[in-house]
Amino acid sequence: MSPLFFIFGPILLAAIVALYGKKQHAFVKYAALALFGWMLIYSLDLLTILPETGYLDLGTYLAVERFDFALTLQVDHLSVVMLILTSLLLILVALSSWTMKWPSSYFALLILFAGPITGVFMSTDLLWFFIFWELTLVPMYFLVGIWGAEGRIYAAVKFFLYTHVASMLILLAFFLIYKETGTMDMTLVRESMLASPVLIWWLLFIGFAVKMPIFPFHTWLPDAHVQAPAPISVLLAGVLLKMGAYAMIRMVVLMMPEHSAQFAWVILTLGLITLFYAGFMALYETHLKKMVAYSSISHMGLVTVAIATLSYSGLSAALYEMIGHALIISPLFLIAGFLHHKTGSWQMGDMGGLMQKAPYLSALFVLAGLAALGLPGTMGFVGELTILIAAIKSYGFWLIVIALGSMIGAGYIIWTFRRVIYGEISETVKKSDFRMDRVEFAALIAFAVLIVLFGLFPSALFDVINSAFSSLAPQGGL
Amino acid sequence: MFGSFSLLFIAALVSLAFHRTIWLKPVALVATAGALFLTYSGSTIGLSGFENSGAVRLFTMILEIVLLALLLHEEEDQTMTQTLFVGAASIALLQAHTLLTFIIAFEAVSIISFVLVSHIKTAAQAEGAVKMFIAGAIATGILLLGTALYLIGGGKLGAPIALQTSSLSTAGLFVMLLGLFYKLTIVPMHGWAADTYALVRHSHAAILTGLAKTVVAVAMFRLFAPFLAEHLAMTVPMMVILSVITMTLGNFLALFQKRIARILAYSSIAHAGYMLLAFAAVKSGYASTGLLYMAIAYIFMQSAVFLLLDTLRKRYDIQTLEEIKGLAKHNRGLAFFFTAQLFSLAGIPLLAGFMGKAIVFYAGVDAGLWPVVLIALLNSALSVGYYAWIIKHLYFDEASTVHETFKEKSPLVAQGILLAGTLYFGIFASIVFAVGKSL
Repeated sequence: MSPLFFIFGPILLAAIVALYGKKQHAFVKYAALALFGWMLIYSLDLLTILPETGYLDLGTYLAVERFDFALTLQVDHLSVVMLILTSLLLILVALSSWTMKWPSSYFALLILFAGPITGVFMSTDLLWFFIFWELTLVPMYFLVGIWGAEGRIYAAVKFFLYTHVASMLILLAFFLIYKETGTMDMTLVRESMLASPVLIWWLLFIGFAVKMPIFPFHTWLPDAHVQAPAPISVLLAGVLLKMGAYAMIRMVVLMMPEHSAQFAWVILTLGLITLFYAGFMALYETHLKKMVAYSSISHMGLVTVAIATLSYSGLSAALYEMIGHALIISPLFLIAGFLHHKTGSWQMGDMGGLMQKAPYLSALFVLAGLAALGLPGTMGFVGELTILIAAIKSYGFWLIVIALGSMIGAGYIIWTFRRVIYGEISETVKKSDFRMDRVEFAALIAFAVLIVLFGLFPSALFDVINSAFSSLAPQGGL
Repeated sequence: MFGSFSLLFIAALVSLAFHRTIWLKPVALVATAGALFLTYSGSTIGLSGFENSGAVRLFTMILEIVLLALLLHEEEDQTMTQTLFVGAASIALLQAHTLLTFIIAFEAVSIISFVLVSHIKTAAQAEGAVKMFIAGAIATGILLLGTALYLIGGGKLGAPIALQTSSLSTAGLFVMLLGLFYKLTIVPMHGWAADTYALVRHSHAAILTGLAKTVVAVAMFRLFAPFLAEHLAMTVPMMVILSVITMTLGNFLALFQKRIARILAYSSIAHAGYMLLAFAAVKSGYASTGLLYMAIAYIFMQSAVFLLLDTLRKRYDIQTLEEIKGLAKHNRGLAFFFTAQLFSLAGIPLLAGFMGKAIVFYAGVDAGLWPVVLIALLNSALSVGYYAWIIKHLYFDEASTVHETFKEKSPLVAQGILLAGTLYFGIFASIVFAVGKSL
């Protein structure tokens, strides 16, 4: 199967669905599921044929003479892991959106999103990477702007503008790289980038930091997260932010190692600030979904700290935490969105006693929450522990402060349990009906299973993840 | 000898006989399609003073495709005839290789544009037309002053612009550029443009801003680039300053407009600023390709948005952001075309507008002007503010009035042609790169 099918195919399919799917709601949903499922199978298949180290070449298309601009598709373990995560999340997002209004347009946009995101992880040509990177914004803009909550328009426009400005910095950096090295292929520029201007590093770092997001470039995210419909929050946290982290690893750390070593303290400091600042914000929030959003940013701070170690074990831990974060934060968003949908309120003060009314849902929320605070046996624990070890190995014992971040996490999560799940049953909860669509509930269960599965057997994941960074340290993994 | 220029010119004259018959549109379309075929098979004007090249041939073909779309959309007989005239004069201007032929063809395009906007039906249209006429007259005056200085300094009319000139001639050429900048709507020579584009009929504005302006930019670059590359000490600061002022002012003023036509008029001024960046980067090998790409992208998207505005104003009397709210509910087709072209103008990838900007900006980086490119990029990001704002009105807001679905074939076909161009050049860049250097 040509990889182009997974990049341009969804764009065509989205057009077909948008044009002819107006009355065929079931067809539209199954078409999306089939596509995402096929993507998952394809990326799992890629995993089996990947070489031990280096890239698997998937072909070069649309080459332009006189300008080193061609759709070069190459994948390595890092990109395939991201592809698997993305297609898995897309399936679960499609399931969680089963009862969304205006399904044909909604699923058309979801399908449209699948094309460029595949392109981002497959393309090694800088300009094409940028093209796909930017293109992911378009479906997101409409998904947030049309299906979002009350403040959706402000959030959608802010999200679009903010991340677009950041992209402009990235584009300038790519142009400067091309001028420096004479090639657009990111697998080739590394050697000739050693003496490149510091400016390029800063442009790339800030550009990707906005997407991740790292303090102080995070302000677009709480708005977008809160206003987006719950499945789209999942996509934002699970795919879009991961795209930022992926680019940060691939283009800042791996492509410009010397500069990254020089400015590792910047990444580390901002990562720590993000971890604590977002943690305190989450502690302060009474708005349920905003609390989850800040907790998400706080976890991305942890990923940033792991990236700042620039070491084999640190990057592996970062990738593990990225996957863990995607799987853990998603059910929290979905349940928060569901509760808002049913109770009409975002305030934790209005809820309380949910356990008595909806025990299964509450149990899932508690499980995901405990995973977020790092309960052993879940992905959260493994992620935080490996990051802590890697950070201490690289920067010394004082980085035990990361554990304090986890404690703050425990604070806001457990306090949220107290306010939402347990306690006295509130009037709002009493009045509401918490029956959930079966398909949507199945998606939640799937998340829970994955969190526990990879929490109990992290080695299954680390085998793959370690190969992603095997070029950094041949002496063995975690 | 008999080429696309002659065919369009004769067709324009002959079309007068078909006014008020149903045959006018078919005749005009067939003539333009014929011209397209002739250009494809490599016809030239064949007179001395005109010269063809691969890039000009490609751009002429694109011009003729856009002419087809404009004619398909048009309903007024006079406008159709003048569209053909503009097409013929534009082909001449694109192939002009000496100062004399350039000035003649340039004035021909200007005069036809004046005639075009003189179909005055309302006071507002009169205001727009008069403003354009006065600005045009001043531009011509400055252009002729520059020419006179150039000639006194020892320049020759009947030859391409000399690379080494006396200081008086050099000054004359820069004065000429200032005159031409009126047509390109470079700040501070832009004063007429926003009013004219917004006040005259939108289908006329499509020709003025989409077609005439782009043709002037390409022809100007073709004639002046070798000379400008020889005088970098003068060119770079002048073009950089004008480019930065033009794009920044255009974008900021666009942000504050309520009428959609005025937003797009200011966005057109901002785009002139981006185009000028190619002039500033003239020493880079990518400048000509960049300008050509930008021009191709611009002619498609700008014509498309103004034709759409024409449809919206004629059928639904929509002029302001307030009135366009919720259009996507009942007019998915129109809203989709509008959105795609606006995204292209905003520089969203896989659309021609992105590639055009990207290559011009790369030419800037290549010429060592990265701080200017950074300003241009931030400007481009700023412009997303108002494009996304229009799209927000189309899709996110509730409609205040219900409009019936637009079903007329030929305007939609015209939009289809223009969107196909925007999409094609958003993905397939090699065709432009193959000829870009020959501009």
